[in-house]
Amino acid sequence: MKRKINHLLAFLKKPQNLILLFFVVTLGYLVLFPLVCIVKDTFVVHASEVMRVKGSKIGDFTTYHWVKVFADKNSATIFYTPLFNTMKVALGACFVAISFGGSFAWLVTRTDLRWKGILTKLFMFPYIMPSWTLALAWMNFFKNSTVGGAQGIFTALTGIVTPNWFAYGGFPITMVIGLHYAPFAYILIGGILRNMDANLEEAAIILKTKRSRMFMEITIPMVMPAVLSTFILVFSSAMSAFAVPQFLGLPVRYYVLTTQMFRNLNGTNPGYGYIIALVMILIALIIMFVNQAVIGKRKSYTTVTGKSANISQFKLKKFRTPISSLFLVLVLCVSVIPMISFLLQSMIKIQGNYSPSNFTLDFWIGAAAASDKINDKAGILINADVWKGLFNSLKLSIVAALGAGTFGFLAGYAIVKQRGTWLSRFVENLTFIPYLIPSMAFSVIYLSMFAVRHGPIPALYGSFAILAIIGTVKYLPMASRSGVNSMLQLSHEIEEAAMIVGVPWWKRMTQIIVPIQKSTVISGYLLPFISSMRELSLYVLLVTPANKVLTTILFQYNEKGWDQYANAINFVIIVFVLVINFGIERLTGASIEKGVGG
Amino acid sequence: MKRLFKLLLATIMVLSMAACSSNEPNTGNNTPDEPEDLYVIDTTSFDDLVAKAQEEGGPIRIYSTHSSVEKGAALFTAKYGIEVEFTQIGDAEMIEKVANEVRAGVEGGVDLIFVQDGARLKNELLDTGYVVNYVNERIAAMLPEEDLFPLVFQYCSKVFIYNSENQDGSRWENIWAVTDPANYGLFQMKDTGSEGVNANFFTMLLKEENIQKLEEAYKDYYGTDLVLTEENAAYEWIKLAYQNGLILGTSDTKICEAVGAAGQNQDFIGLFTLNKYAKKDEKGLILEIADDMNPIAGFFYPIYGLISAKAEHPYGAQALLEYLYTPEGWAPWTSRVGDYSANTENAPAKGDKTIAEWSKVLVREDAAFVAEHRAEMEDFIQSIAQ
Repeated sequence: MKRKINHLLAFLKKPQNLILLFFVVTLGYLVLFPLVCIVKDTFVVHASEVMRVKGSKIGDFTTYHWVKVFADKNSATIFYTPLFNTMKVALGACFVAISFGGSFAWLVTRTDLRWKGILTKLFMFPYIMPSWTLALAWMNFFKNSTVGGAQGIFTALTGIVTPNWFAYGGFPITMVIGLHYAPFAYILIGGILRNMDANLEEAAIILKTKRSRMFMEITIPMVMPAVLSTFILVFSSAMSAFAVPQFLGLPVRYYVLTTQMFRNLNGTNPGYGYIIALVMILIALIIMFVNQAVIGKRKSYTTVTGKSANISQFKLKKFRTPISSLFLVLVLCVSVIPMISFLLQSMIKIQGNYSPSNFTLDFWIGAAAASDKINDKAGILINADVWKGLFNSLKLSIVAALGAGTFGFLAGYAIVKQRGTWLSRFVENLTFIPYLIPSMAFSVIYLSMFAVRHGPIPALYGSFAILAIIGTVKYLPMASRSGVNSMLQLSHEIEEAAMIVGVPWWKRMTQIIVPIQKSTVISGYLLPFISSMRELSLYVLLVTPANKVLTTILFQYNEKGWDQYANAINFVIIVFVLVINFGIERLTGASIEKGVGG
Repeated sequence: MKRLFKLLLATIMVLSMAACSSNEPNTGNNTPDEPEDLYVIDTTSFDDLVAKAQEEGGPIRIYSTHSSVEKGAALFTAKYGIEVEFTQIGDAEMIEKVANEVRAGVEGGVDLIFVQDGARLKNELLDTGYVVNYVNERIAAMLPEEDLFPLVFQYCSKVFIYNSENQDGSRWENIWAVTDPANYGLFQMKDTGSEGVNANFFTMLLKEENIQKLEEAYKDYYGTDLVLTEENAAYEWIKLAYQNGLILGTSDTKICEAVGAAGQNQDFIGLFTLNKYAKKDEKGLILEIADDMNPIAGFFYPIYGLISAKAEHPYGAQALLEYLYTPEGWAPWTSRVGDYSANTENAPAKGDKTIAEWSKVLVREDAAFVAEHRAEMEDFIQSIAQ
């Protein structure tokens, strides 16, 4: 008995163990509990389902939803077709992201591509924009006469009418999501290519290996783990993307799991919606475990060795200018051009009419007109609601970023310190799960979880705290992953030396570990900040008038079709994020690239 | 150590289960049978309401699906000095939020809601007792009795409107025209899955009288009896419309612009809110109302005005609600075509018909009927949607 107590005391003496236990308890409540709730909600009759499930009362146990979703004559349209579409879109988006982002990463890190500085900055833009606005930009450019209205800019310029498959449905959804997440691929794959141990290639060159063989047998295997990481991130993000398929898929009735989930949670059968959410989480979990099984042992592949870092650069020679120009055009198409289109659309009164007389600043600075006019709201720069939304967005994103960044870094520290123990493995997986839960399902669960008091935990619904908590938890995976990766690169001896001379844990962290990892720590804050600034589905159900954020206002305007105001707000969001991002980069040397890459 | 961990995990699970299970409302299905149980008629005078409202202070919090309420509320604030906090929010999210706010009893929750989608409203807010159907003497005097429960604040209409650049209305005189293969891909409306009132319209078609009208109209259009492949003519019409390239949108504004844009080679027709039609000249759209559409030219639906069961400013909400029914409070709507006060003293906007007139050609959403049959319609749409 005494020995056991001693064991326990020794265990609790290590700060990293306390940190891990802290995460087991808090994430148990904030991550596992919601999962349990989702499972339970698939077996329950909800208020709106009493009419549907004959002879039932609210809260009754039922298998109705399961039968209907999986084994009914309508299961194909309710579930299987959307599932199939989701798989196609998610895999396609991975392909787009990895091939575009990966080839860009290779060109930037391993060749003498021109204009690298500006290109890498612009390449980040699609990730900073709210994803659905890229979808709206796609529609502005490529829409055809199928849905009517003013013709797209592409058709107006070239006279070519885009075919339906190009303008709506699976193809544009795949492209837009793929482009939105291509920066992930660039960051992760580029990180490895940049830090790759040049000895390997040097050895190959000495042995007179052919370029193509070097590429196939050295470069590709080296970047494989990063490709797989990208695959998981993009796949699960693409799978849970909602707004893009909603805007591009609906006109031709192309449904994916998220849009189907939205219909059901929004309609009279939330039970179906919870089952779909559960299926999405399961798919993501399976992929995560397969990934761990495949590359599990090679986790610490980017260890900084300090050996020759002089990687040979591939000369593009006569292709240098054409390839550089091609990528410049491509990157401009997904960065600056959408921005210009947002600005333009925010200043024209009648859509599709670009004559000077049609331009106005009413939607920016005009007073609200009567309610039967187009400009029946105050211009966004003099609209108190918009300013309040912007202030709330900033406040929330800063708090969520501080939370996710700090806890993520601590989690990374503790996980690496205790690496190899089951507790560490458990916490590592636990911190990653929020990434896999679709935002919409996550917020529905939080809404009911925090609507009433549970023991010591008060009802948080309607407070700022609930938004801060869900933001912190949802973005924890980003920071904890980069925390784990960066801690892996740090040798244990450094902290051990301090321990031997009796430096307390608190001092070791603040004076040794954090200063060394400074740029990773700051990057760990930056990525959640940006993600939170453009987040929608996570917050939309939880905001109240007092704490509504800018994206919820934007989405509402987009849905209502108040295009000019919406485009103006979107422009403001992007500019804000860009300024903050590049400002922090300039001041501290941190960047989102480091946040994802570790 | 492992044991400690297991214990922890078990505690979490037990806590979770306990917490999860307390989430469902336990009020159950307690619809009273007698009409007099549905609401009581308050006899407090308006001046007393305002006095009590001023005493309880502000801000009175409003959720509304429509933006005009904000302007009406501003007039109230200017006159009586009670602050109002207005939030515009879609119907589905509003119902979800109000249910949770009342269940949790949160501070700073909503006082007064203006909400559409009678089906969900009835099942999820009224039957659960989360909102109160407040009626006073003066409101009862202003409104027809059938509008008193659930209390209708105003009506909105959605009608068939077509692009008239290259054609007159003769193409759109029968509702079966939108299912005619000759008109493939021309019909647009808002997705039933993103706004409940559209699903309610489809649901209302299931009423016997509407089924009959549809059957007769089919015969008018084709000269032969309708041969059913579905249960009835309503389902048949919906299925054929979907199969005939129905275009779904997320916004009536966008559908209006898409249908009405000048210089198109397709003669679109849409089913969308009439108040979008009012902005056509300013936007350069070429539109006409298909009010000859036989037998149904569209639908109209109530926007209900209800008070939260846990309102922090109940008197303020009551006074404000009443104020918005008066001609003075209704002023911001007077120029809006397609919005109709439930108080028939408030005339419709210039150039518009009264709701009584519209109801001859439009289907009216009936909360009790849609609450009962909406699920069947949703299942049906889901079965044909792709």
